[in-house]
Amino acid sequence: MKIMRELQLRYYLIIGISVIVALLLLYWKPYVLVEGIQRACMYTAIALPMALILGIMGIINLAHGEFMMLGAYAAYWFNVYTEADPFIAMIPVLGVFFLFGIVNYVSTIKHILDAPELNQLLLTFGLVMVFQQGANLLWTSRPVKVHLDYVSASATIGSFSFGTFEFVYVAAAVAILVGLLLFLKKTRIGQAAMAVGQNPRGAKLVGINVDRTYLIVFSISIAIIGAVGVLFMMRHSVLPTVGMSYTMRSFCLIAMAGMGNLVGILWVSLILGISENLVLSFMGYAGWADIIFFALIVLVILIKSRQRQVK
Amino acid sequence: MRYWRYLVYAFAAIVVAVIPFYAGVYILNVTNLILFYITLALTWDMLLRSGQISFGTAGFCGVGGYTAAILFIHTGMNPLLSILLGGLFAGILALILGLIVLQLREMYFAIVTLALGGIFLVIVRNLSDLTGGPEGLALSSAIFGGDSTKTYWLVLALAIATVILSIVFQRTRIHFAVTSIRDDEIVARSSGINVFRYLVFLFVVTSFMQGLAGGVFTHMYGFVSPEGSFSMDFILLPMAMTLLGGMYTTWGPVIGAILLGVVAEYLKLQIPYGHLFVYGIIIIVAILFFPRGIVGAIGQRLKTGRE
Repeated sequence: MKIMRELQLRYYLIIGISVIVALLLLYWKPYVLVEGIQRACMYTAIALPMALILGIMGIINLAHGEFMMLGAYAAYWFNVYTEADPFIAMIPVLGVFFLFGIVNYVSTIKHILDAPELNQLLLTFGLVMVFQQGANLLWTSRPVKVHLDYVSASATIGSFSFGTFEFVYVAAAVAILVGLLLFLKKTRIGQAAMAVGQNPRGAKLVGINVDRTYLIVFSISIAIIGAVGVLFMMRHSVLPTVGMSYTMRSFCLIAMAGMGNLVGILWVSLILGISENLVLSFMGYAGWADIIFFALIVLVILIKSRQRQVK
Repeated sequence: MRYWRYLVYAFAAIVVAVIPFYAGVYILNVTNLILFYITLALTWDMLLRSGQISFGTAGFCGVGGYTAAILFIHTGMNPLLSILLGGLFAGILALILGLIVLQLREMYFAIVTLALGGIFLVIVRNLSDLTGGPEGLALSSAIFGGDSTKTYWLVLALAIATVILSIVFQRTRIHFAVTSIRDDEIVARSSGINVFRYLVFLFVVTSFMQGLAGGVFTHMYGFVSPEGSFSMDFILLPMAMTLLGGMYTTWGPVIGAILLGVVAEYLKLQIPYGHLFVYGIIIIVAILFFPRGIVGAIGQRLKTGRE
């Protein structure tokens, strides 16, 4: 009981501190807070599918960011050839990437599920190279960007104005999070996936088709990340090497939140997003913003491993 | 069997000694690059033998290269000395980082080394006064005034040193310690092997060699830049070479580097952009179908043939 009380105290303390920090930021640099939240939600949307694959299949998909990059290019193509709104591109991208996920699972991932971790890492790294260089061959390394009017829309409160389009990432992050939680808790396949994630052998014993569950989980994740790529493309320029840093960020967030904690990813990405924006807001130090998440990865992994050793 | 092996060694030695006298400048430059990659692939594999997969090859290579370039530009010292100091700096850095990071295993170690490479890159890009920022630094001249033949002997010496180091590691007790760490760390620990010390030792030695290689590479082209010196190629190519040639062997990475080096040169002429596509496919196919590589497959064949 005492431990419970201490835990709760710490919980309230963390919430209290973060509220105070948020209020201070709101007063001192409001755009850091707003843009930080928008950025954080984009990270969350990108990290969630990776967390699903890692949590249930136990595979670190290093090619995660590359799937997003391919989704972004697919939307760009769609936009160039049909001149339709990129939002519409989401529907075909979801379908195509679901199939793409199936193809990838059957041809590569399926064969290394029982292999040593080293082989899994190397294989997904091979996928990174194939996707990245394939994109390089098809679309050259020149960044591409679509120009949409409503993307640069902004709102003004007092003397402070901010972009409104980026709130689409907030909506996307919340939608994906809620959708995944409902999928895992309420649907039969989702419950089966949870069981497989906890204990594949036990799940097999009670009659769950483990292979098919893996297939569905992987394909759904790829479909989601493809759709996130569509949203990504609308605001950012896309080039073949854009994915890797988002893979790293996603892994960092998952490691910080703890394996299997989907809601936690949202909170830790708020920390990452706001602190990155804070560094960016100081003149002349913008180049250092990238170091934050690299340093966070190292720190978080070291601290977690220390905790595990103590236990 | 024995005699065949010595015949192969003798033949290889003759080829290596004769190349600079008959080959043109172009072929010599390609050979230099292949020898450079032999060093990287072999050092990467030497750490891999303990089960630790490092993505930090490019990081230490770049650190060595930048140190060599900065020392050379600011003090005007002998290029060879600056290369050596670059390697030493990479080794010291690896010692400090290794003491912290080598408590991690497998995927955590891999991701952290990848992140460390990213940190090096950001630091180099932002310390503009020292490193020249995103544009990088140009050396006053390439080593030996750009003489490819002399450079060849330098890179060859580095590659041979790495091969000898690898053979020594394979023949001494280090081999047994490292293999047992890879197979089962708990058993290794309970047999009295100081796992942590072996890992730090390996990490420092391989990073030192990578730093040297980075310094040689820098002086070969007389130029450093963040994207060029910390290039993803320095991770990807050694990996593909080692996987194709065969992991956990001395000659696997060497054979893989020679094969892929020649293939890459040909592909570069055919497909100027994106020729690394083929490398990705090689990695995937190697992992899926013959995870032991060429040397591993041949070794298996010989063993079953003898039985």
